Amino acid sequence: MSSLSKSWILLVGLILFYVTYLMLGALVFSSIERPVEEQLKLDIETLRQEFLNQSCINDTSLDTFLVKVLEANKYGVSILRNSSLDSNWDLASSLFFANTLVTTVGYGHTTPLSDAGKAFSIFYALLGVPFTMLVLTACVQRLMYPLVYAPVGLVQRAGLTQRSATEVHFLVLTVVVVLSFFMVPAAVFNTLEDNWSFLDAVYFCFISLCTIGLGDYVPGEQAGQRLRPLYKISVMVYLFLGLLMMYLVLRAFHKLADLHGLTAMLQLPHCEEDEDEDKTPIVEAGPEDQQQADKAASKPLDPGSQLSYNSINR
Amino acid sequence: MAAPDLLDPKSAAHFSKPRLSFSTKPVGLNFQEDEYDTRTTVMRWKTVSAIFFMVVLYLIIGALVFRALEQPHESSQKLAILAEKLDFLSVHVCVNSSELEDLVKQVVSAIRAGVNPSGNYSNQTSLWDLSSSFFFAGTVITTIGFGNISPHTEGGRIFCIIYALLGIPLFGFLLAGVGDQLGTIFGKGIAKVEKMIVKWKVSQTKIRVISTVIFILFGCLLFVTLPAVIFKHIEGWSTLESIYFVVITLTTIGFGDFVAGEKGGSEIEYLDYYKPVVWFYILVGLAYFAAVLSMIGDWFRVISKKTKEEVGEFRAHAAEWTANVSAEFKETRRRLSVDVYDKFQRAASIKRKLSSELGLNVTPRQDPMGRRTLSVNLGDEREAYPNLTLCLTPVPGTLARNGSIYLNGLSPDYADRREIEIAIEETPN
Repeated sequence: MSSLSKSWILLVGLILFYVTYLMLGALVFSSIERPVEEQLKLDIETLRQEFLNQSCINDTSLDTFLVKVLEANKYGVSILRNSSLDSNWDLASSLFFANTLVTTVGYGHTTPLSDAGKAFSIFYALLGVPFTMLVLTACVQRLMYPLVYAPVGLVQRAGLTQRSATEVHFLVLTVVVVLSFFMVPAAVFNTLEDNWSFLDAVYFCFISLCTIGLGDYVPGEQAGQRLRPLYKISVMVYLFLGLLMMYLVLRAFHKLADLHGLTAMLQLPHCEEDEDEDKTPIVEAGPEDQQQADKAASKPLDPGSQLSYNSINR
Repeated sequence: MAAPDLLDPKSAAHFSKPRLSFSTKPVGLNFQEDEYDTRTTVMRWKTVSAIFFMVVLYLIIGALVFRALEQPHESSQKLAILAEKLDFLSVHVCVNSSELEDLVKQVVSAIRAGVNPSGNYSNQTSLWDLSSSFFFAGTVITTIGFGNISPHTEGGRIFCIIYALLGIPLFGFLLAGVGDQLGTIFGKGIAKVEKMIVKWKVSQTKIRVISTVIFILFGCLLFVTLPAVIFKHIEGWSTLESIYFVVITLTTIGFGDFVAGEKGGSEIEYLDYYKPVVWFYILVGLAYFAAVLSMIGDWFRVISKKTKEEVGEFRAHAAEWTANVSAEFKETRRRLSVDVYDKFQRAASIKRKLSSELGLNVTPRQDPMGRRTLSVNLGDEREAYPNLTLCLTPVPGTLARNGSIYLNGLSPDYADRREIEIAIEETPN
């Protein structure tokens, strides 16, 4: 079987598996969430009826009013009394917004209202996203040495083979990252935010650090938040560091998969970090280093995609 | 005169060849291997922190621009909605403010949960029917995360976490595969185009630039413009909003203020296959955007690489040149010293002859320290060489270490010359 047809078969198989995975997810989400939604619908309907009954408003005027309120709320403008003081676009919040744009998290709790804002977001994102990826990759490549190679070397010297050393190290790394970037911040958010349970906070941390960013939970958005700018900026720093660690874990996993032959089996490119590659990813000395550095600079969340986009560029 | 800073990359552009420093104090150009390496390591940290500061700067600039653009708009929205509220309250006097606020709070949280309280209850489609859940699962795995639908039950959230943990790498592999195939298809097309262009005898870089431009334009047409037009037509958005949606979705930012196929309230009749087609388009579009973004990243790196290359090249040049010059000067010194020795011998013999013939006493001026010092004065020819005073002083110890030679006052015009004519005159006094 030629390698070309093999890669096509692999791809088709992957797509089918992916579609199945999505269907499964859809079924589970549907079965979990739908009854709750029905209940909420009933509740809100009763509320509405009660409101209408006890007052002189008719249906249509309430509807128009609500539509307007919700339109404003979609953009983060609230009608409620005590939230009128905080702006969504003061400097710290704008910085936070720019950060969510550039890290592709994209909560959506505030979105640009004006046309100019939307147009600017487009260009800002097109430049900022690769820029951020570049920074993150550069930082992660630097961090690989003290956080991955050195400990693995230490463990190896303690007597384990390279395979088991990387396994042990990866396990320890994952545990440390989960503890310090999920559990601890979740506890902090749990205390700082009024109606976030611990699970909600963990959910928030996870959704943010995977850059999914659904936006149903955003820290610092409650009314009357003390030290709001400082809070938002520290959340930004936390997001950046968390992303860094996620990429690091991903890269360590890639190396682990390399060692166990998984990447070769799935015909994916190897993790291109070498023990003696002591060069900065930005300075290349020759064409093969150029290739490696090209791979390094593409989206780190798709470790397998690093080879392919060079073929597009060439 | 100030020395041109040899480590300044700007001067690398001005001078084709590195010049000797012609400062008044002697400059030693020694290149040691380990020094070069440490300098590279220092550069790397500097590079990373420089880039980091640039990102922070970029963020701050973005924040300022966003604030300037959006805050006035937001204020006007606030005023408008407040006016609405007051209007409503004044028209319907039986409602008091707190009741209204309660209602609004409830309505808002209901909207967050995806339930729209306005309009008729019966003909609303669920947000969690199969196709919408499928779409939601897709937004989670691709990390777009619109957020117009999100799980509200604890079970839903826990499942979401586990689902994403497994699904995101899976999608990563898929994206890699799709991107690969896309690249192959496109690469073949580009190869054909390049073959045509090569016939016109265009340089390699130009070909590459042209192919990149074609890639961007064609991809933009296929993945941005065409879908934007379709969305505009079907969803009723403006052109800007459609393009905004496409970019925000395909970079996986995914705000969720505009979502294709999720208009709440059945104002728009969507065809059955609309959502799956949108999902498929997002998949392929993501591959394209990943390619474009990595290309932009490459450009950033090329720009910084070029600067570094120039500096690196320059340093390499300087090292090579210094090595050459040192070798030359060593050679010249050796020849000179042999020459000088010969001349001294001859002078001494002449002197002896003279003294023996004339009975004169000529003492050759000897350097009291006993070193071999060669001092060259060009005398009459001085006008031709305005500042040429060459003094070669072998300082004990320096030469042995690294072969560098201290030079004083060599005119830059003669830096290129490998052979320096030295006329030696002995001034009798």
